[in-house]
Amino acid sequence: MALNIMIKFDEINNHWSVEPEGEIDIYTSPELKEKLSKALDDKMADIVIDGEKLDYIDSTGLGTLIGILKIIKENKNKIYIRNIKPNIRKLFDITELDKVFVIEE
Amino acid sequence: MKKDIFRLTIPSKPDYISVVRLTSSCIASKLGLSIDEIEDIKVSLSEACINALTRTDEINIKYEISEDRLAITVDNVVLSENDERESNLGILIMKSLMDEVNFTEKGVEMIKYLKDGNR
Repeated sequence: MALNIMIKFDEINNHWSVEPEGEIDIYTSPELKEKLSKALDDKMADIVIDGEKLDYIDSTGLGTLIGILKIIKENKNKIYIRNIKPNIRKLFDITELDKVFVIEE
Repeated sequence: MKKDIFRLTIPSKPDYISVVRLTSSCIASKLGLSIDEIEDIKVSLSEACINALTRTDEINIKYEISEDRLAITVDNVVLSENDERESNLGILIMKSLMDEVNFTEKGVEMIKYLKDGNR
């Protein structure tokens, strides 16, 4: 298992639309970090992550998202996380990161 | 009381931690644990492996199955000395998802209790 990441800019809603598919773990997190950083270099905007196809995330994945949030927060941008599976939602709740990111049902 | 024991040793490389997750799923489902419990074990054990990764060339994992519990030990896991956020997140996750987490000189022991009728 691995990770496929689709990132595209949503011109209508003016945000980066990110669809990770698979696992964001210690092996795949660096790729996610690189792709998101590159996108933000291109254009600073909110990030909307659709978690429908995300099966797994670990502390390095959460750490990567925190790192990206630090960058975009300076510009008052936010990270929105949508459609995440209950097992992943549980990790955001435990770590209280549900208060740091905007989690939408 | 006799215990059933599995041992798994993997090279300390990030890409092999997913192998630990798959192995853990197999063992936990064999014990009749629920999907949620299996997920808890997978996540906790991955966090323990991530913690051990930089301290050793090989990560040693032992699964000990007894009547009422699955106890998993991972060597070279330590409570972080500094305030590294990611490492703290990992330990917080382990402590929240497992029934018991004990740090020893060797590493960590994590326990999931097996309810009656699970096996």
